[in-house]
Amino acid sequence: MTVALEYYVLLSIALFCIGLFGVLTRRNALMFLMSVELMLNAANINLIAFAFYHGNLTGQVFALFTMALAAAEVAVGLGIILVLYRNFRDVDVTVPTTMRW
Amino acid sequence: MAGTGIFSYAPAIALFPLVAFVVALVFGKYMPKKGAIAGIFATAGSLVLSLAMLAAVAGGEVYHETIYEWTSGAVASEVGADGIEFTFGILIDPLSALMLVIVSLVAVLVHVFSLGYMNAEGETGLPRYYAELGLFTFSMLAFVFADNLLMAFMFFELVGLCSYLLIGFWFRTKSAPSAAKKAFLVTRFGDYFFLIGVVAIAATFGTVAFAGDDSFVTAAETAIDDGTQLFGFDAQTWVTITGLLVLGGVIGKSAQFPLHTWLPDAMEGPTTVSALIHAATMVAAGVYLVARMFGYYALSPTALAIIAFVGGFTALFAATMGVVKDDIKQVLAYSTISQYGYMMLGLGVGGYVAGVFHLMNHAFFKALLFLGAGAVIILMHHEQDMWKMGGLKDKAPVTYYTFLAGALALAGIIPFSGFWSKDEILYDALIVGLEEPVILAAYAMGLVAVFFTGFYTFRMVFLTFHGEPRSEAAEDPHPVGWAVKVPLITLGVLALVAGIANLAPVYKLTGIELTFLESWLDGEYGAVEGLTYSAYGELLAYEAGTIGTEQQTVLIAAGVSLLLAFSGAGVAWKLYNVPEPSRHVTKLGGAYTVLRSNYYQDEFQVWLAEGVTQPIARAADRFDRTVIDGTVNGVSSISLFGSNRVKRLQTGIVTNYAALLVAGFIGLLLVLGLYGGWF
Amino acid sequence: MMIEALIAVALVGALVTFVAPNRIAGKLAFAISLVPVVLSLWLFTAFDGSGNALLEGSLAFESQYEWIQLGEYSISWFVGLDGISLPLVVLTTILTSAAIMSSWTPIDDRESQFYGLVLFIEANLIGVFAALDFFLWFIFWEAVLIPMYLLIGIWGGPRRKYAAIKFFVYTNVASLVMFGAFIALVFGLGDSVTSFALPEIATAMLNGGPDGFLGLEGTTLTSVVFIAMFLGFAVKVPVVPFHTWLPDAHVEAPTPASVLLAGVLLKMGTYALLRFNFTMFPGQVETYAVPIAAIAVISVIYGAMLALAQTDLKRIVAYSSVSSMGYVILGLIAYTQFGVGGATFQMVSHGFISGLMFMAVGVIYNATHTRLVTDMSGMADRMPIAVGILIAGAFGYMGLPLMSGFYGEFTIFFGAFQADFAYAPLFTSLAMFGIVIVAGYLLFALQRTVFGPYELETDYEVGRAPLHDIVPMFVLLGIIILLGVAPDLIFEMITDAVDPILSGGEQ
Repeated sequence: MTVALEYYVLLSIALFCIGLFGVLTRRNALMFLMSVELMLNAANINLIAFAFYHGNLTGQVFALFTMALAAAEVAVGLGIILVLYRNFRDVDVTVPTTMRW
Repeated sequence: MAGTGIFSYAPAIALFPLVAFVVALVFGKYMPKKGAIAGIFATAGSLVLSLAMLAAVAGGEVYHETIYEWTSGAVASEVGADGIEFTFGILIDPLSALMLVIVSLVAVLVHVFSLGYMNAEGETGLPRYYAELGLFTFSMLAFVFADNLLMAFMFFELVGLCSYLLIGFWFRTKSAPSAAKKAFLVTRFGDYFFLIGVVAIAATFGTVAFAGDDSFVTAAETAIDDGTQLFGFDAQTWVTITGLLVLGGVIGKSAQFPLHTWLPDAMEGPTTVSALIHAATMVAAGVYLVARMFGYYALSPTALAIIAFVGGFTALFAATMGVVKDDIKQVLAYSTISQYGYMMLGLGVGGYVAGVFHLMNHAFFKALLFLGAGAVIILMHHEQDMWKMGGLKDKAPVTYYTFLAGALALAGIIPFSGFWSKDEILYDALIVGLEEPVILAAYAMGLVAVFFTGFYTFRMVFLTFHGEPRSEAAEDPHPVGWAVKVPLITLGVLALVAGIANLAPVYKLTGIELTFLESWLDGEYGAVEGLTYSAYGELLAYEAGTIGTEQQTVLIAAGVSLLLAFSGAGVAWKLYNVPEPSRHVTKLGGAYTVLRSNYYQDEFQVWLAEGVTQPIARAADRFDRTVIDGTVNGVSSISLFGSNRVKRLQTGIVTNYAALLVAGFIGLLLVLGLYGGWF
Repeated sequence: MMIEALIAVALVGALVTFVAPNRIAGKLAFAISLVPVVLSLWLFTAFDGSGNALLEGSLAFESQYEWIQLGEYSISWFVGLDGISLPLVVLTTILTSAAIMSSWTPIDDRESQFYGLVLFIEANLIGVFAALDFFLWFIFWEAVLIPMYLLIGIWGGPRRKYAAIKFFVYTNVASLVMFGAFIALVFGLGDSVTSFALPEIATAMLNGGPDGFLGLEGTTLTSVVFIAMFLGFAVKVPVVPFHTWLPDAHVEAPTPASVLLAGVLLKMGTYALLRFNFTMFPGQVETYAVPIAAIAVISVIYGAMLALAQTDLKRIVAYSSVSSMGYVILGLIAYTQFGVGGATFQMVSHGFISGLMFMAVGVIYNATHTRLVTDMSGMADRMPIAVGILIAGAFGYMGLPLMSGFYGEFTIFFGAFQADFAYAPLFTSLAMFGIVIVAGYLLFALQRTVFGPYELETDYEVGRAPLHDIVPMFVLLGIIILLGVAPDLIFEMITDAVDPILSGGEQ
């Protein structure tokens, strides 16, 4: 028995909203990064679910791409966080505002 | 009329001095006499060639040839051709041949005199001086033989440039550059009208040639005969307007009222330059131009009457100012203005021969007087104030007698040259004036001016040469050399005898044919058709009247003017030919101040420049900086201010950006939803 | 291929100079810049074109390659010269060489970049005058701004940033207006054009014009486009009241940039006016003749009055450029052979004369470190040759006969006097009063700066200018006199290219 598509979408929405909530409220850069990962994975769930639903593998391939991309993004993100920490002795994302204007 | 025989060398008349200009400018430093020799040879060459031209014209030949086509193009002229050519051409007819000789003769003498005046004084910048003299002579000679109005204008302007350079020769002083600027600026103001005139004539008739069938004079005559409308005016009015526009240049260059103010200031230049400017080049250019295109003015009685009136008024106006000057060169400067007024008067009443005659005589005696004044200045160790002179008569006899000859000619004392020509002008003015009241007024002013001329001339002579020496310099004058004396003597002789060229009164009284100049200008020897005295006479619309018979009129006119000249000289003799002359200032009362201040003409022009033009310019500048540039800067300020507000949206906090992103996304969804009809 | 070679030499030269050591950059750039001079002079002698480039004339050194296909429209590399553009190309190459030599003295910082940028400007200027495809032309047109912006912004005077940004933004906004208008016109022309080649567009304009676009009728669209393009180019010229960027840019710019700015960049505006507005819109030219003539007269008189109020020599020359460009507009609007031909001649002539003036002022500035009329006195005492050239240049500016300025002005006046629009003689006479005012401010400036006793107090010796400052000025002076004595050298080819414009495209 297959799970109906709606549940996947609901799961995805839930995951996305958790991620979004994290992005909007967390000040710790690491939490921030994890929240972004959550949102990416929400998208992945969607991709895979719809791929399964349509019987088309393209979505799954895209999910693989996204994972690779997420890995790269985490690498870059961690690098940024390291630099952030080195410069500000903190990983609070609201502190560095000097680049605004 | 092709370039045959001697005429093929005509361009060289002007080119010799041009070569001298280049040589003196480039090599002058390394040459003995710093370029003077080159100048003397060049101008002497011009003189020889000019004399050859004169002889050729006397032999019945004339020369009218286009040398070089400057440019050509289409023209939408009101009458005539639809194409126009602007060319450089040479026109050698009796008038220009005569003028060429005058100019080159005076130029040679000035160059020679400069050897004694400039070289002997250890001047610096002599190569520049001789180069500029060369350029000056070149411009004037090219102007004289120009065969069309545009070429004339161009060299007219170059003459102005050279006068600027030469008046400002002593540029390390404050006054000379100022005078030079004034000379150029005032004459430029006149040339502005001249240029409009040239453009208007070219645009109207499609030609600017002085002579020949396709000359603008012929075209204007045809237009008047046909009753053509030109630029919305009838042909006669348009000819008057354009003629008067060209006259603007003449008034500027020939220093006629109200553009005469530059000439006295131009005395800041070396005296030799003054001689050249006054006698033969710059100032003469204006009157020569009127004579050159006399046929055009003859078509317009209004223009002629204005010329005559301006001339008569200037003659009197300038003569009165000459009465109170202390500087010997200043007196001469005002006499020049006055004398050119006479020429204008003569030309304005249709006395073409009389005007040209006076132009010639004046060239000789005014060059003489200026060079004489230069000699006096050498004698006086560069002192120009006549009140510091006196008693030079015995110490420098050559200077004295030649200067006296010039003075007698200037005052118009029989039988010196000035008498004959001035008398002829006044006679012509009188006979026309008997019919035309405006001309009669001009004549009256010219007549009164004779008295003042006699007075200031002899006041100058007596103060300078007679009485007791009034300064150390006058007691022990610096000697002058041959380079000074030779030109003086040459010109002195000419001032005495040049009158023989046209003894019109003698002819009218006795019937003896002594009017060479008249027959010369009337083309009895050779002339270009249409450019003769009798051709002009046919165009003229003047009626001539007489008092009694012609002989009686001649006698009355000559008698009155001679009487006035003698009385002027007599008053001067009475007042100033005493061992210790006094100024007699009080006798003039308030008039003295007015005359000393030149009728406040200078003040008026300075006010025009500083009181009117400069405030307007400054106001324009303020307007430009505040309103126009303010608008530009305002636009930039507004956009900067606006972006300053908007940029505050960027807080630099990542979370805010994320929130904005989400809000924007939701907003977009809502909008799409609303318009897409999801709800 | 000759035009490509010209542009390529300048471009490659720019690159080479850019990486060359500072020490030799000036000499190297000058040596490179001589190649375009020789090439352009060769083009000048080998010129075999006739007629107008836009109006079916036979072009010299033409070459056309398909470049981009953009929907229905094709863009091509299309260059060629006619009697109007060739003299301007020669002006550009000669003036660039002269400007490079004259910057040997004043430029002592980042030389290789400086000279590289100057050569880069040259390449683009040649492109502007040679390009016959709108897009290609527009690329060159805009590309000129960038190096000029840098020249002013990096090597300029104390207020260089303000001046550079004002120059860039002002002219760029104007270009935008013009660009938008022209694109609208091309779309309005509809099927009658299939490319951005200017000759094709010109032909379409003369054969009926646009059908309409963006809800505008064909004739309204034409008028709107004409006005928008006129305004766009008017900023570049510049015409009063869009002139205020010019004095600021000139005052702050280093001498060679001033030379190129006044000498060539201003001519881009009038050249474009002639190429676009006065070639493609004969009807509108007639309609708007009186207002444009009024603008021209105002530019002449107002610009001259402003010059009268200045004390900075560069500002004086800058405002007098506004005045001189007013003459050019007057000549163009006259729409007669002498008027338009004279205006084109005046572009070339004013390029040389204003270049000469800025160089002479620059030489004096190098020696005195001041440009204020009030600070100087008796410079002729110390720098006789440089001052002599300054005086000659000033008289050239005043339109002294036998110098090119007089010919340009006279032909413009003569052409404008017989123009068809109302009160043409009156407008001309008013504009001619400029020749009196120009004499006024230049002679006043000369009197105060170069004449009088030498009174400048400096802690260093003010001496004669070095030879390499003097030589380029002599060359320019020689050209000015040559063109004044023998104007037909270029005037004949100019009128040959102007005639088709006046006859509405008929040969």
